[in-house]
Amino acid sequence: MPAVEFRNITKKYGASTVLEKLNLKIDDGEFLVLLGPSGCGKTTLLNILAGLLEVDDGEIYVGEREVSNLDPKDRGLAMVFQSYALYPTKSVRGNLKFGLSARKLPSDQIKQRIAWAAKLLRIDHLLDRRPSQLSGGQRQRVAIGRCLVKQVDLFLFDEPLSNLDAKLRTEMRIEIKKLHNQLQNTVIYVTHDQVEAMTMATKIAVMNKGIIQQVGTPDEIYDFPENLFVADFVGSPSMNMLDCVIDRANDSVSAVDQCDDLVFELNDYKWRQAATNGQKVKVGFRPEHFLQLNGMQPAAKYLRLERRAQFFEKSGRDAIAFLDLPSRTIAARVDPPYADRYRHEKVIPVLLPLNKINVFDAESGQRL
Amino acid sequence: MNGSSIIGLPSVLSVGRTRRRRRIRPHQIAISIFLVMAALFFCVPIYVILVTSFKSMNEVRLGDIFALPQRWTFASWKYAWFAACSGMRCDGVSGGFFNSLFILLPSLVLSISLSMLTGYAMALWDVKWANGLLFVLFVCAVVPFQIIMYPLIKITGFFGIYGTTFGVAVVHAILALPILTLIFRNFFRSIPGELTAAAMIDSGSFWRIFFEIVLPMSGNILIVVLILQITSVWNDFIVGLTFGGHDAQPMTVILNNLALSDTGENNYSVDMAAALLTAAPPLIIYFVLGKFFVQGITAGALKG
Amino acid sequence: MVRWSKVAPQLALIPAVLVTLTAFAGAVGWTIYLSFTNTKRFPDYALVGWKQYFRLFNDELWIRSIQNMVILGLGSLASIVLGFILAALIDKEVRGEGIFRTVFLYPLAVSLIVTGIVWRWLFNPSVGVENFFHSIGWNWLHFNWLASPGTVMNGIILASVWQSTGFFMALMLAGLKGINPEIWKAAKLDGVSFWRVYLEIIIPMMKLTFLTCVILLSIGVVKAYDIVVAMTNGGPGGSSFVPAYFAVNAYWQKENLGYASAAATIMLVITALLFAPFLLFVLFRRRNAT
Repeated sequence: MPAVEFRNITKKYGASTVLEKLNLKIDDGEFLVLLGPSGCGKTTLLNILAGLLEVDDGEIYVGEREVSNLDPKDRGLAMVFQSYALYPTKSVRGNLKFGLSARKLPSDQIKQRIAWAAKLLRIDHLLDRRPSQLSGGQRQRVAIGRCLVKQVDLFLFDEPLSNLDAKLRTEMRIEIKKLHNQLQNTVIYVTHDQVEAMTMATKIAVMNKGIIQQVGTPDEIYDFPENLFVADFVGSPSMNMLDCVIDRANDSVSAVDQCDDLVFELNDYKWRQAATNGQKVKVGFRPEHFLQLNGMQPAAKYLRLERRAQFFEKSGRDAIAFLDLPSRTIAARVDPPYADRYRHEKVIPVLLPLNKINVFDAESGQRL
Repeated sequence: MNGSSIIGLPSVLSVGRTRRRRRIRPHQIAISIFLVMAALFFCVPIYVILVTSFKSMNEVRLGDIFALPQRWTFASWKYAWFAACSGMRCDGVSGGFFNSLFILLPSLVLSISLSMLTGYAMALWDVKWANGLLFVLFVCAVVPFQIIMYPLIKITGFFGIYGTTFGVAVVHAILALPILTLIFRNFFRSIPGELTAAAMIDSGSFWRIFFEIVLPMSGNILIVVLILQITSVWNDFIVGLTFGGHDAQPMTVILNNLALSDTGENNYSVDMAAALLTAAPPLIIYFVLGKFFVQGITAGALKG
Repeated sequence: MVRWSKVAPQLALIPAVLVTLTAFAGAVGWTIYLSFTNTKRFPDYALVGWKQYFRLFNDELWIRSIQNMVILGLGSLASIVLGFILAALIDKEVRGEGIFRTVFLYPLAVSLIVTGIVWRWLFNPSVGVENFFHSIGWNWLHFNWLASPGTVMNGIILASVWQSTGFFMALMLAGLKGINPEIWKAAKLDGVSFWRVYLEIIIPMMKLTFLTCVILLSIGVVKAYDIVVAMTNGGPGGSSFVPAYFAVNAYWQKENLGYASAAATIMLVITALLFAPFLLFVLFRRRNAT
């Protein structure tokens, strides 16, 4: 039985439809990240689950209960907000307590839970402070603590790390992940940051324009994007995408780049649907999948490219070479020393393993 | 070229600064003179009212309106507070002062509690017809008093509170409801949505969220509204005149009668002392809590 | 199933709804109805059509009231202009800003009755300001404005300007605070003169503030009552009547409720006409925003 299930969710704001007949199941104990650009409907979906927004159509289940018509407090979930949303006039203790005393728990149990959560999050020395006296990271912990004390099975996170600086964000990322490993409750986490999604999620649901584009493990999303949107949105720098035409001559399948001069041999490609001769496709491959020449033969079949690179973008750990094709450039990741070595040569040789190639239908954008 | 201008810049600035200090700039003087004259214009009435109230009537009759009193006397103040006649009654403005006080207190409690509650329900809770009510309140905020005067007389008469301080207070609360509700609603709207969302998930109780989360955050706006309401109720004339009957007339009405009814010879120094006594409470609030006062005045702008 | 979270806020709104329905909507309807009757002192609910309105617009005193209202409105525009000038000067941070602000704003805390009484005293010919000027030899200066029908409105305008300038200054200051300070820096770098910055940049940017001020002023003028009572009580000879005064007078002095109701209804119509553009503007903006 899934921990959360959305059935045919439709949400409209006036004339514009934000979500239409959306379906999604989330398994018990999953850390599901809803990933998408701003305005894709991910926060709307989260708010609908929390009961902060009403649906126009469809049902929501938490466990086996249908919660579509319940008040937020009765849905058995807790939520962390982007701005933390701590009650400014209450102490940390008061913040943790507010949601509990509404539930009519005996006071010794309330105390016990607060102590437990405070210890777990290492905020026990802050209990008597006001939110305004806390740093960003501490506020974040209090906001999480407010969820923990409720001891519910479902946590919702709405871009909780976006107000933190980069270093703290990395720390909290690990901490939240640890917490999830420890407590094993279901988490639904909304973000537009793909690094957060890739590092924390057990499953990612990529959303765009109110539609769930793909649900899968981070590896599936990264290696086998279902469509052009996912391919383009996940990964930085984004996937190289070339317009090609399928050529089924001589019993083998290859894609011939329409305007450029590359030919990809696709005989070993795992086709979802067979491509027809002359079909227009897009061939995508990630910059970081390029291999360098190091004297050893790679295991898989590969395409050898020797092209001029006019620009390099070095960022310490990586160097991105922009290789010239007749009408455009493609990005390839190499090691910085490798880039330096070939900087003054005419061409830089790289290998593209053909098993890392993705083929999409040019019209539908779907994976082939 | 580039280098020289960068090097040259600080020296140009410092030259400008020293020059500015030495040269007395003509428009600076003009501005100051203009402001001082305007300030004098604004101060004339309060100055005149003050000096006149401390003069004896003989001195007032000399006609030197701007002169300081030759002999300072509190006689007019005493007379204005205890004995000046307004209409048939001769007990000064003190009776009016207490009437105003007894009107003010219940009207504050009624108007602020009702409008705060209404603003809270409209701003933070999902009521489908709240926008309709908002529009109606917006319109009500500018309705002239005269068009609802007679029905309100009848309604207060029906409930037996016409001519009582409580009746006047109720009418004040009714008249203030639209504008105060709008002020509160706007303030509650400015509370971050995530905060109320968190409260909905945590508690979901209308009253608990109000008393535990929203009310403790409303300190400033409460002071602003309180000052606005104290000033407008205290300074009101027409509501008190209309609904005060014989026994519940506020200080402004008594003052106006007093200033009009001095038959024969006008005792101006008493008028001035009475006027100052009437103006004192809101003026004191203004001088003590000026910042909040201005916020209240601009927020309650529609009240006009 | 009843969801308490849906019911509780609606219950909380009931008192406000009752008040608006009875004390505002119902009361307005009642008065409008009465304006079409012959009601004198006690209600008489037989309809007589537009009779009261015909009478009203044949009544010289009512016409005078309307004229005076317009005069008062136009004259009071001075308080907007003065308010803007003071705000602009204060905003430029002259020394003693706080003192000036306090001085210009204190009249707002003073009851209009007090204001009226004080100004009546200042206008008093025998012991007021005129007497002072005559005593220093400025005999050509006449300040006895309230005594003559020709100048009485000037006196009321002066007192209203004194009272309300601070209010408009406060609104203008709020508007000026909303202007990006880099605009002044940019103008300074461009070498644009002080006056041109205001005329060509700042004032156009504050269009909305000015509009708000004008609407608030005009609605206030329609309601003007206290100041007239305290300064002139409508005199001399009815020459300083305004609609609000007229309506109250018709009710209390003439005991003619139908007539008073008609006057009040016209006041409502005038207010509606003044307020409608503003309301439309707000609604239009909200619609565009969503």
